[in-house]
Amino acid sequence: MNVDELVRDSLREQAAEQPALGPGFADRVLTVRRRRRTRALASAATATAAVVAIAVAVPLLNIGNDDARLASRTNRNGILAHPDQTPPRDMIAAGDLALGAYYTWETDAHGAAVRAYRILDPKTGTYVKTSKWSVVDIAPGLRTAAVLERNLPAKRIGLLDLRTGEVERWIPVDRGVASVEFSPDGSKLLATTYGKNPQLRVKSRSDTDGDGEGDWESPPGKPSSRTGFYILDVASGKGSWSEVTDVGRGGGPEDCVFNHDGRLVYCGTTSSPFRQYYDFAGDEVAAPANEVQAERYRGVGLSPDGKLFGGLSGGTMSKSYTKTHTELLDAYTGKKVTTVPGRQLLAWVDNKRLIALDLTPGPGSDGSVSRLVLVTIGSDKVVPLSGITKGFDGAAGYWTPVFAER
Amino acid sequence: MDAEAQENFRDFVESRSSALLKTAVLLSGGDRHAGEDLLQNALIKAAGRWHRIEEPEAYVRQILYRQQVSRWRLKWPRRELSVPEPLENPARHGTDDGPGAADLRIVMRAALARLTARQRTVLVLRYFEDLPEADVARILGCSVGTVRSTTHRSLARLRELAPELAALGPADAEHQPSRDYSTVEVRP
Repeated sequence: MNVDELVRDSLREQAAEQPALGPGFADRVLTVRRRRRTRALASAATATAAVVAIAVAVPLLNIGNDDARLASRTNRNGILAHPDQTPPRDMIAAGDLALGAYYTWETDAHGAAVRAYRILDPKTGTYVKTSKWSVVDIAPGLRTAAVLERNLPAKRIGLLDLRTGEVERWIPVDRGVASVEFSPDGSKLLATTYGKNPQLRVKSRSDTDGDGEGDWESPPGKPSSRTGFYILDVASGKGSWSEVTDVGRGGGPEDCVFNHDGRLVYCGTTSSPFRQYYDFAGDEVAAPANEVQAERYRGVGLSPDGKLFGGLSGGTMSKSYTKTHTELLDAYTGKKVTTVPGRQLLAWVDNKRLIALDLTPGPGSDGSVSRLVLVTIGSDKVVPLSGITKGFDGAAGYWTPVFAER
Repeated sequence: MDAEAQENFRDFVESRSSALLKTAVLLSGGDRHAGEDLLQNALIKAAGRWHRIEEPEAYVRQILYRQQVSRWRLKWPRRELSVPEPLENPARHGTDDGPGAADLRIVMRAALARLTARQRTVLVLRYFEDLPEADVARILGCSVGTVRSTTHRSLARLRELAPELAALGPADAEHQPSRDYSTVEVRP
């Protein structure tokens, strides 16, 4: 390791440890500004008696011409939108949440369905295609991604430097893993272990996107080969594996994921409530009080303040008219609080805004096509973030987003 | 500021203040309170020009960088920092051959906190924000040679402050010493 690498790691670690500012910081700023202006006006009135006035040159910062932070440029509301692009070429973001990567499904040389990822290059703010990885998760800060190679289950986890596109370190694992996820603070990795590749897909008889070929889908009826999960420390690569005996509902991947605050892990189970929580030692524990209700849904998780979660969707869809909405429920009672526009809520931007998949009237088989939108609680306003996909598979341009905190 | 601009400002602060605070705390050498002060002052300045700002985040960041260097020039009293100490157990944190990675990062933090504000600002811009030298020079209003020499001297100073770093390889910047050793000139 070089000195500059250590400087970089130390700065990132220190930055990651900073808790978020509490609500009301903007009001605090505005209040202090008002007080200072009041004081300045009072001083100016007193100074009228002064004989000499001193002009103070206020520096005008040459902001508009600087392009130093291309990847982080935002408009006034912290939104980076490209409603003309699908799949997106340029960075999409809202608030602290960015589209860190996305994938489409492609067919490899053996006829198997594989993911083709486009990963954000933070230097240029564009998405770069790669065929190397079967799983990608982006760490908070958009600097590092955890990647798994093509052949799943994989026996090592790569830490990819997004600026160079190179794997800077490999973390070897004894048991094969087929999913990997960063903890909310980016300090840990959760990797689910499988006996067989859970991404394998087969062609079904149904053709929902109308492209004349059967849809790719997970093998029906087969139990998952999930065996457990690793919790690994990103800095040291060390950690532990815990067995999970329940194989989940089967069919496709049954990845274990971090809970809302990243202190526990939960894995899908075959029976109600369809989730089992574990601590990092692998011991079964009860669900946190504000996550019990959310167990019944597979929608977007808890809001950042832990008070709301996404419920069922509804709406009216036809070839000429489409209006969809999704419920938001109280995390403790499970009761409906409100609804927001959008067919499927994907991720919380902050406590008021979410990124959703919205359906718009179009030529899809159900009369609709989809795009990423930003929705706000208490508002019917929908802000398009991406262009409109033509259908629901890779051939038709459908892509699956991977979000990360920037 | 009218009501709409205030709402707009609140939206911006709510969505970007946590990310901006990270930079502000690093510029302040890890002092959370100083970082909040720095960010607050930068946002107050931005609020005063809100109608005329095209890129609020770039504007606030630039104020952060320049304000921090100006603050150092004013020789503001510095608060004592609590920096975690490296642990003693070599089995967990290192070997007989030297300290472990976690220990080195703690040592590095302490050393970073003892740099001058201008040295730390250049390192934050180069290694945290990952900006090329030309962009750092433009932001700080100095020459590329000055950025290069300040980076070089800052890394050398870190080695002086923390002898534990002796075992580490030289950074790229240390391979390319600049001939330009002029004082950093920062526009006020």
